Amino acid sequence: MTADFAALSVGLEVSNRSLVLDTALVAGYVDAVGDRSGIFDPGAGRPAVPPMAVAALSLRGVLDDLGIPEGTVHAGQELEFSGVVHVGDALTCKATVAQNSVRRGSRFVGLRLSVEAGGGREIMSGKSRLVMPA
Amino acid sequence: MNEGDVLPPVERTITQDGIAKYAAASGDFNPIHVDEAFAADSQFGGTIAHGMLVAAALSEVMSAAFGLDWLDSGRLKLRFRAPVFPGDTITAYGVVKSVGEGEGTGEVVSSVGVRRQTGEDAITGEASVRVRR
Repeated sequence: MTADFAALSVGLEVSNRSLVLDTALVAGYVDAVGDRSGIFDPGAGRPAVPPMAVAALSLRGVLDDLGIPEGTVHAGQELEFSGVVHVGDALTCKATVAQNSVRRGSRFVGLRLSVEAGGGREIMSGKSRLVMPA
Repeated sequence: MNEGDVLPPVERTITQDGIAKYAAASGDFNPIHVDEAFAADSQFGGTIAHGMLVAAALSEVMSAAFGLDWLDSGRLKLRFRAPVFPGDTITAYGVVKSVGEGEGTGEVVSSVGVRRQTGEDAITGEASVRVRR
Protein backbone atom coordinates (compact mmCIF):
# COMPACT_ATOMS: atom_id res chain seq x y z
CA MET A 1 0.00 0.00 0.00
CA THR A 2 1.25 3.49 -0.84
CA ALA A 3 1.11 6.28 1.74
CA ASP A 4 -0.78 9.50 1.04
CA PHE A 5 2.30 11.61 0.44
CA ALA A 6 0.26 14.84 0.37
CA ALA A 7 -0.57 14.25 4.02
CA LEU A 8 3.02 13.75 5.22
CA SER A 9 4.05 16.75 7.30
CA VAL A 10 7.63 17.83 7.90
CA GLY A 11 8.95 16.23 11.09
CA LEU A 12 6.65 13.21 10.91
CA GLU A 13 8.38 9.90 11.65
CA VAL A 14 7.36 7.58 8.83
CA SER A 15 9.45 4.55 9.64
CA ASN A 16 11.01 3.03 12.76
CA ARG A 17 12.21 -0.51 12.38
CA SER A 18 14.65 -2.96 13.92
CA LEU A 19 16.99 -4.78 11.61
CA VAL A 20 19.65 -7.44 12.08
CA LEU A 21 22.06 -7.65 9.17
CA ASP A 22 22.68 -11.36 8.69
CA THR A 23 25.27 -12.91 6.38
CA ALA A 24 22.74 -13.87 3.68
CA LEU A 25 21.28 -10.34 3.51
CA VAL A 26 24.70 -8.69 3.20
CA ALA A 27 26.02 -11.34 0.79
CA GLY A 28 22.97 -10.76 -1.42
CA TYR A 29 23.67 -7.04 -1.46
CA VAL A 30 27.39 -7.47 -2.19
CA ASP A 31 26.61 -9.86 -5.05
CA ALA A 32 23.96 -7.52 -6.49
CA VAL A 33 26.23 -4.46 -6.61
CA GLY A 34 29.35 -6.42 -7.57
CA ASP A 35 31.34 -4.98 -4.66
CA ARG A 36 34.96 -6.13 -4.82
CA SER A 37 36.31 -3.85 -2.10
CA GLY A 38 36.89 -6.80 0.24
CA ILE A 39 35.21 -4.95 3.11
CA PHE A 40 32.76 -7.85 3.46
CA ASP A 41 34.69 -11.05 4.15
CA PRO A 42 32.26 -13.88 4.92
CA GLY A 43 35.19 -15.93 6.26
CA ALA A 44 35.88 -13.42 9.03
CA GLY A 45 34.46 -13.94 12.50
CA ARG A 46 32.22 -10.89 12.38
CA PRO A 47 32.46 -9.55 8.84
CA ALA A 48 32.26 -5.80 8.33
CA VAL A 49 29.32 -4.55 6.27
CA PRO A 50 29.94 -2.17 3.33
CA PRO A 51 28.50 1.21 4.36
CA MET A 52 26.27 1.48 1.30
CA ALA A 53 24.79 -1.89 2.26
CA VAL A 54 23.80 -0.39 5.62
CA ALA A 55 22.20 2.53 3.76
CA ALA A 56 20.37 0.40 1.19
CA LEU A 57 19.21 -2.28 3.61
CA SER A 58 18.03 0.27 6.18
CA LEU A 59 15.96 1.92 3.43
CA ARG A 60 14.06 -1.36 2.95
CA GLY A 61 11.87 -0.57 5.95
CA VAL A 62 11.12 2.89 4.61
CA LEU A 63 10.09 1.40 1.27
CA ASP A 64 7.85 -1.10 3.05
CA ASP A 65 6.29 1.52 5.34
CA LEU A 66 5.67 4.19 2.72
CA GLY A 67 5.13 2.15 -0.43
CA ILE A 68 6.96 4.50 -2.80
CA PRO A 69 4.67 5.43 -5.75
CA GLU A 70 5.33 4.15 -9.26
CA GLY A 71 7.53 6.46 -11.29
CA THR A 72 9.39 7.88 -8.27
CA VAL A 73 12.94 8.97 -9.05
CA HIS A 74 15.80 9.18 -6.55
CA ALA A 75 17.16 12.70 -7.08
CA GLY A 76 19.80 13.02 -4.38
CA GLN A 77 21.40 11.31 -1.44
CA GLU A 78 23.47 12.46 1.51
CA LEU A 79 25.07 9.93 3.85
CA GLU A 80 27.34 10.17 6.86
CA PHE A 81 28.91 7.02 8.28
CA SER A 82 30.18 7.10 11.83
CA GLY A 83 31.12 3.58 12.73
CA VAL A 84 31.86 0.15 11.35
CA VAL A 85 28.81 -2.13 11.23
CA HIS A 86 29.32 -5.90 11.50
CA VAL A 87 27.19 -8.83 10.46
CA GLY A 88 24.91 -9.68 13.37
CA ASP A 89 24.62 -6.11 14.64
CA ALA A 90 21.10 -5.09 15.66
CA LEU A 91 20.18 -1.74 14.15
CA THR A 92 17.29 0.67 14.57
CA CYS A 93 16.42 2.51 11.37
CA LYS A 94 14.29 5.65 11.47
CA ALA A 95 13.06 8.01 8.77
CA THR A 96 11.36 11.37 9.21
CA VAL A 97 9.96 13.78 6.65
CA ALA A 98 12.37 16.67 6.05
CA GLN A 99 10.69 18.22 3.01
CA ASN A 100 7.37 17.84 1.19
CA SER A 101 6.52 20.29 -1.56
CA VAL A 102 4.96 20.39 -5.02
CA ARG A 103 6.44 22.23 -7.98
CA ARG A 104 5.41 22.02 -11.63
CA GLY A 105 3.42 18.83 -11.25
CA SER A 106 6.03 16.94 -9.24
CA ARG A 107 6.22 16.26 -5.53
CA PHE A 108 9.63 16.69 -3.87
CA VAL A 109 10.02 14.63 -0.71
CA GLY A 110 13.04 14.71 1.56
CA LEU A 111 13.50 11.94 4.12
CA ARG A 112 15.98 12.25 6.96
CA LEU A 113 17.47 8.87 7.85
CA SER A 114 19.07 7.69 11.06
CA VAL A 115 20.50 4.28 11.86
CA GLU A 116 21.48 3.46 15.44
CA ALA A 117 23.42 0.51 16.77
CA GLY A 118 23.29 -0.80 20.33
CA GLY A 119 23.06 1.81 23.06
CA GLY A 120 21.54 4.40 20.75
CA ARG A 121 24.87 5.15 19.05
CA GLU A 122 24.16 6.66 15.61
CA ILE A 123 26.26 4.87 13.00
CA MET A 124 24.69 6.37 9.90
CA SER A 125 22.60 9.40 9.07
CA GLY A 126 21.53 10.91 5.82
CA LYS A 127 18.91 12.44 3.65
CA SER A 128 17.17 11.03 0.57
CA ARG A 129 15.54 13.31 -1.97
CA LEU A 130 12.74 11.76 -4.02
CA VAL A 131 10.74 13.20 -6.91
CA MET A 132 7.36 11.65 -7.71
CA PRO A 133 4.22 12.50 -9.64
CA ALA A 134 2.13 15.00 -7.58
CA MET B 1 47.36 11.79 -0.25
CA ASN B 2 47.67 15.19 -1.91
CA GLU B 3 45.41 17.70 -3.62
CA GLY B 4 44.85 16.60 -7.23
CA ASP B 5 45.46 12.92 -6.57
CA VAL B 6 43.20 10.66 -8.60
CA LEU B 7 41.56 7.82 -6.67
CA PRO B 8 41.64 4.39 -8.39
CA PRO B 9 38.41 4.22 -10.42
CA VAL B 10 35.87 1.40 -10.38
CA GLU B 11 34.28 0.30 -13.65
CA ARG B 12 31.34 -2.04 -14.15
CA THR B 13 28.66 -2.86 -16.67
CA ILE B 14 25.05 -2.53 -15.59
CA THR B 15 22.72 -5.32 -16.69
CA GLN B 16 18.99 -5.91 -16.28
CA ASP B 17 19.87 -9.07 -14.37
CA GLY B 18 22.01 -7.00 -12.00
CA ILE B 19 19.18 -4.51 -11.56
CA ALA B 20 16.81 -7.39 -10.73
CA LYS B 21 19.31 -8.72 -8.17
CA TYR B 22 19.59 -5.29 -6.59
CA ALA B 23 15.79 -4.98 -6.45
CA ALA B 24 15.64 -8.29 -4.59
CA ALA B 25 18.46 -7.30 -2.21
CA SER B 26 17.14 -3.82 -1.47
CA GLY B 27 13.42 -4.50 -1.65
CA ASP B 28 13.03 -1.68 -4.17
CA PHE B 29 10.79 -3.06 -6.92
CA ASN B 30 9.83 0.32 -8.36
CA PRO B 31 8.62 -0.61 -11.88
CA ILE B 32 10.87 2.04 -13.42
CA HIS B 33 13.69 -0.39 -12.59
CA VAL B 34 12.16 -3.81 -13.15
CA ASP B 35 9.07 -3.55 -15.40
CA GLU B 36 10.17 -3.08 -19.00
CA ALA B 37 6.63 -2.40 -20.29
CA PHE B 38 5.99 0.25 -17.62
CA ALA B 39 9.42 1.84 -18.12
CA ALA B 40 9.03 1.96 -21.91
CA ASP B 41 6.18 4.45 -21.44
CA SER B 42 8.12 6.56 -18.93
CA GLN B 43 10.23 9.66 -19.55
CA PHE B 44 13.28 7.36 -19.78
CA GLY B 45 11.93 5.05 -22.49
CA GLY B 46 13.18 1.95 -20.68
CA THR B 47 14.26 0.59 -17.34
CA ILE B 48 16.95 2.41 -15.40
CA ALA B 49 19.31 1.29 -12.63
CA HIS B 50 18.56 2.19 -9.02
CA GLY B 51 20.48 5.31 -7.99
CA MET B 52 21.87 3.50 -4.97
CA LEU B 53 23.09 0.62 -7.15
CA VAL B 54 25.09 3.09 -9.24
CA ALA B 55 26.27 4.95 -6.13
CA ALA B 56 27.57 1.69 -4.65
CA ALA B 57 30.46 1.84 -7.14
CA LEU B 58 31.39 5.21 -5.71
CA SER B 59 31.48 3.91 -2.17
CA GLU B 60 33.71 1.09 -3.44
CA VAL B 61 36.15 3.73 -4.76
CA MET B 62 36.24 5.31 -1.31
CA SER B 63 36.52 1.96 0.53
CA ALA B 64 39.44 0.93 -1.68
CA ALA B 65 41.22 4.26 -1.16
CA PHE B 66 40.57 4.80 2.55
CA GLY B 67 39.72 1.38 4.02
CA LEU B 68 38.05 1.36 7.42
CA ASP B 69 38.41 5.15 7.75
CA TRP B 70 35.65 5.37 5.12
CA LEU B 71 33.35 3.20 7.23
CA ASP B 72 34.19 5.18 10.38
CA SER B 73 33.86 8.73 9.11
CA GLY B 74 32.80 8.85 5.46
CA ARG B 75 30.44 11.50 4.16
CA LEU B 76 28.78 11.53 0.75
CA LYS B 77 26.67 14.22 -0.84
CA LEU B 78 25.39 13.07 -4.23
CA ARG B 79 23.17 14.37 -6.95
CA PHE B 80 21.66 11.88 -9.39
CA ARG B 81 21.89 13.76 -12.68
CA ALA B 82 21.17 11.27 -15.43
CA PRO B 83 19.78 7.74 -15.65
CA VAL B 84 21.95 4.68 -16.13
CA PHE B 85 20.49 2.05 -18.46
CA PRO B 86 21.05 -1.70 -18.76
CA GLY B 87 24.06 -2.18 -21.03
CA ASP B 88 25.80 0.98 -19.81
CA THR B 89 29.37 0.77 -18.59
CA ILE B 90 29.91 3.14 -15.71
CA THR B 91 33.09 4.46 -14.16
CA ALA B 92 33.09 5.73 -10.59
CA TYR B 93 35.86 8.24 -9.96
CA GLY B 94 37.27 10.62 -7.39
CA VAL B 95 39.81 13.45 -7.32
CA VAL B 96 41.21 14.83 -4.07
CA LYS B 97 40.23 18.51 -3.59
CA SER B 98 41.82 19.21 -0.24
CA VAL B 99 43.74 17.54 2.56
CA GLY B 100 43.22 19.01 6.02
CA GLU B 101 45.75 19.08 8.79
CA GLY B 102 44.78 17.83 12.21
CA GLU B 103 46.05 16.27 15.40
CA GLY B 104 46.26 12.58 14.49
CA THR B 105 43.70 12.85 11.72
CA GLY B 106 43.16 14.93 8.62
CA GLU B 107 40.04 15.40 6.53
CA VAL B 108 40.37 14.48 2.86
CA VAL B 109 37.70 16.03 0.62
CA SER B 110 37.23 14.68 -2.90
CA SER B 111 35.12 15.52 -5.94
CA VAL B 112 33.43 12.30 -6.93
CA GLY B 113 31.10 11.07 -9.60
CA VAL B 114 29.94 8.25 -11.80
CA ARG B 115 30.26 8.65 -15.56
CA ARG B 116 28.50 6.70 -18.29
CA GLN B 117 30.44 5.41 -21.31
CA THR B 118 28.97 8.35 -23.25
CA GLY B 119 30.93 10.76 -21.04
CA GLU B 120 27.75 11.95 -19.34
CA ASP B 121 27.85 12.27 -15.57
CA ALA B 122 25.16 10.10 -14.00
CA ILE B 123 26.15 11.17 -10.47
CA THR B 124 28.22 14.07 -9.22
CA GLY B 125 29.05 15.05 -5.68
CA GLU B 126 31.54 15.33 -2.89
CA ALA B 127 32.97 12.81 -0.46
CA SER B 128 34.97 13.45 2.66
CA VAL B 129 36.69 11.22 5.15
CA ARG B 130 38.83 11.70 8.27
CA VAL B 131 42.06 9.84 7.73
CA ARG B 132 44.15 8.58 10.63
CA ARG B 133 47.85 9.37 10.29
